[in-house]
Amino acid sequence: MEVGLKRRSAVGKNVRKVDGLSLATGRPKFALDIDIPGALVGKILRSPHAHARILSIDASKAEALPGVACVLHCGNVKRIPFTTAGQGWPEPSPYDTVLFDSKVRYVGDQVAAVAAETEEIAEEALKLIKVEYEVLPAVLSVEEALAEGAPVIHDEEDSQGIYDAAHNIAAAVDIPVGDIERGFAESDVTVEEICEIPYSQHTPIEPHCVIAYFDEDGRLVLRTSTQVPFHVRRIVARALELPMERIRVIKPRVGGGFGSKQEVILEPVAAALALRTGRPVRMALDRSEVFISSRTRHPMRVRVKLGAKKDGTLHAIEMEATSNTGAYGTHALTVLSNVGSKTLPLYNKAPHLWFHGKAVYTNLPVAGAYRGYGATQGYFALEVAMDELAGRLGMDPVELRLKNHIRAGETSPIFEKIGEGREGVPMVVRSCALSQCLRVGAERIGWDEKRKSPRREGPWAYGVGMAVSMQGSGITGVDMGAATIMMNEDGSFRLLVGATDIGTGSDTILAQIAAEVLGVPVERISVYSSDTDFTPFDVGAYASSTTYVSGNAVLRAAQEVRRKALEVAAGMLGEPAEHLELADGKVISPRTGKSVTLSEVGHRATYVADQKHIIASASFVPAESPPPFAAFFCEVAVDTETGIVRVERFVATADCGVPIHPKLAEGQLEGAIVQGIGHALTEELLFSNRGRCLNANLFDYKIPSSLDVPDVEVVLVDSEEPTGPLGAKSIAEVGINGPLPAISNAIYHAVGVRLTRAPFTPERVLSALRQGRRLG
Amino acid sequence: MSYRLGCGIVRVVINMRLKGIRRFHYARDLEEALSLLSAYGGRGAVLAGGLDLARSARADLEGLIDISGLGLSYVRAEGGGLRIGATTTLTDLLESRPAREYLGGFLGEVLRQVAAPPLRNQATFGGAVVSAHPWADIPTVLVALGAEVSFQDEAGRHKGLLEELWEKPFRHIFKGAVLTEVILPPWDGAFAFAKLTRSAYDIALLNCACGLGIQDGRISWARVALGATPRRGRRLPWLEDLLVGKEPGPGLWAEVKELVPEKVEVGTDRRASGDWRRAVAGPLLTRCLARAARKVTGGNL
Repeated sequence: MEVGLKRRSAVGKNVRKVDGLSLATGRPKFALDIDIPGALVGKILRSPHAHARILSIDASKAEALPGVACVLHCGNVKRIPFTTAGQGWPEPSPYDTVLFDSKVRYVGDQVAAVAAETEEIAEEALKLIKVEYEVLPAVLSVEEALAEGAPVIHDEEDSQGIYDAAHNIAAAVDIPVGDIERGFAESDVTVEEICEIPYSQHTPIEPHCVIAYFDEDGRLVLRTSTQVPFHVRRIVARALELPMERIRVIKPRVGGGFGSKQEVILEPVAAALALRTGRPVRMALDRSEVFISSRTRHPMRVRVKLGAKKDGTLHAIEMEATSNTGAYGTHALTVLSNVGSKTLPLYNKAPHLWFHGKAVYTNLPVAGAYRGYGATQGYFALEVAMDELAGRLGMDPVELRLKNHIRAGETSPIFEKIGEGREGVPMVVRSCALSQCLRVGAERIGWDEKRKSPRREGPWAYGVGMAVSMQGSGITGVDMGAATIMMNEDGSFRLLVGATDIGTGSDTILAQIAAEVLGVPVERISVYSSDTDFTPFDVGAYASSTTYVSGNAVLRAAQEVRRKALEVAAGMLGEPAEHLELADGKVISPRTGKSVTLSEVGHRATYVADQKHIIASASFVPAESPPPFAAFFCEVAVDTETGIVRVERFVATADCGVPIHPKLAEGQLEGAIVQGIGHALTEELLFSNRGRCLNANLFDYKIPSSLDVPDVEVVLVDSEEPTGPLGAKSIAEVGINGPLPAISNAIYHAVGVRLTRAPFTPERVLSALRQGRRLG
Repeated sequence: MSYRLGCGIVRVVINMRLKGIRRFHYARDLEEALSLLSAYGGRGAVLAGGLDLARSARADLEGLIDISGLGLSYVRAEGGGLRIGATTTLTDLLESRPAREYLGGFLGEVLRQVAAPPLRNQATFGGAVVSAHPWADIPTVLVALGAEVSFQDEAGRHKGLLEELWEKPFRHIFKGAVLTEVILPPWDGAFAFAKLTRSAYDIALLNCACGLGIQDGRISWARVALGATPRRGRRLPWLEDLLVGKEPGPGLWAEVKELVPEKVEVGTDRRASGDWRRAVAGPLLTRCLARAARKVTGGNL
């Protein structure tokens, strides 16, 4: 750009978060912070069975209970197949869900909903609903689901888009590149690892919640804690057969999502209750419902086989993923696809690739989008296999990565072969500082020295391990973000974005991009996100898209507003706009030294001469999805007598292009790593042999606290993405892919056993140690 | 302060689970608390910190009797031992001077590992005794210490060893009684505590408390309790007997480690299997014993 952005004034600075003060002082900003007079409370009756047909529902007693406004169930709500996955159109997830089905497919599935005057009455009413079930044999594992003659979970006739319903396969992929058999035959060394991730849950601090009400014109308003307000509007319109123009979705502050709020779960229920009663309805999941009936990570088994030449050059990679999508196929195909599409391009030296897999239905909770989105599962197996390969080759694991990772100017056939539920687009990587990330990280943790001599103190064995990962920045050809910027008469600006800040700080980052271009401090930009009536379209907060996709839209809108403001200033200063400079809230003529303030420009345009509102909107559709890269190094201590693993140090180095707000970028990386440490050490949902979740609470299901993780040391390594807004790429997801393999590899270094089933609980570690010893 | 906290907890409790609550009483003295308890005939509950009440789902409860005004929040040193009022919070106990001086700050070592600071600010020591969760750390420690309790019911005052009380249907007893005080005896030696958890704020997968006296290089007395097995903490008399008269040190710990797997009674729950508990009990106990011995000898072991 010609505005001299290298001399950046707003970008690259740790400015105060635009919503920081109001959040810190407890202003009522979240979905349920407002009271809508006369609101009913909505509650959901959930299935006690993993698989059953509903023979009859008698809601008469519940309906007769004083204070109950309505009861919805399969007997009085129209059957319309849809998907709860909040993704772009055409929706890649199957339409295999109806609001209230005559069949339940997991313990916790939706059977009926009640709206009542109080929560107590609603709960009492749930108990009065009589449901007669015909209990069906349940399928509680992928193996059972794929077995010959297994019960069919989706035997309904009106579903659409299921890959093979008769065999419980929601989605499948098969992507061959080159000749894999030849590839392995030509390899000097081959290794194979199978890694497995269980059910885990995002545990956002704010549960899923929504208020449905009607505005003065009778339009339905959904104030909801969501990552995808525009998809909520589209999906609710479909599920309830409402004209889209009758729906407005407001996204207030959101207390965390991590993918679980990329699902449209509560909104259609609240909307249906509000429409049936004509009254506002408040709903919130309790913590147990968040665990069981919102969404989880896709449990997955990933097998990776690597073939390499003696010098360490990868020659063939096979990756097979078997994904458990649970009772419904939301994100089944796209998460499965990302297992390969976000991992295999990293090692683009191998000419022979085969990525294949299935996403399988089971009678267990529904998996969905979760930060990392398949890449986390893929990298676990890939990076553990790379560690094993390094050992077999007698090569340093860091050197093996340095030898094989993709570089700027290079491509991978996978970019073109796998897209968002369809073919992708060819892409050349334009920025990659992974080599530097590897060197900086290795030096920071003292890699060479610690690898040479693993420490031992009594029963505690110490080891270091590492892993690398990449992700994307939005979805090529599918995502679209738009922004509107308007100049106020005082020279301040209003930035309207559909982009969805869910606690990531994206409102601040987008304001920084606008401020940079418009030559004003960030405080002069008021950001508003997001409201389907008042902000332009944006697909929402997922796929690491906001900084790159929405940021590019803001950049374009800001450039246009800047151009228009300079035109007005040109009239005031009597010079052509292209001779003027904009900085520090002023338009300056370098030739004459004269200047006018933006406040004077705004005032003139609004009231004085050639009156017009200085305003511009712009959209951005990514033609590329530039990957951020990261290297992870950790040191663990393993108690060889108890199996307890402590993460002693964690160093992460990342290339996210130009960090618009370095502190927020570091925060994203730190948060993702802590979540990843949870995956590695403690997080796992447990089920009874009837499919009932046994630990759906934060007392039993342990997420790491600050006392369980060391200070995560993060380093952002400089790079500049030419297609990014002011050089930026994404950072939100890439960090969660590293901890699982890095910790597994560090345990291997410490005690010589490979942990391939997460989480690495004391029991699993001790058992592996004993088996390892016996084998050894 | 406690009154306000109490009311806050009541609100939370009622909103969460205890939907039958109709009345809240702020007892002025012990007699009033007891007569209220009696009047409710099992449908009233004593409210101290309220944490376990908040976790319970007792829809049958109609009245809550707040005992925070009974003057039972104190920690007193007495003859080398300690008297702890039932409504003393874990934080107040942790920070009190008598507790810091008792057994070289042993209670602090334990309580810093119990729950999280916000919970310790609310939880009372008496509550921990009355609830006595099988997985809890405090019962294991109190059994090892030989703690006694005082409580009062309509029949009068009672005093007894906690170790014995917990073998009785104590929850039933406390439906009609108010715990007033926990008494920790003096010990000439040192205690240590150890637990295994999945995370810092997790409940124990296994915990233990060990106390030793050492005279002339040999163990003169030993108190060892193992808890969260998954049953509540109990002493291991066979191990105590084995230790007495022996010379503390690596040889003895190795002998203990060898014996523990076959002697120890452990079971499976969803957090850990009996096999794992059996395998790790030896290392846990011997580390704890070694630490207690080091405390006695000033680090010479």
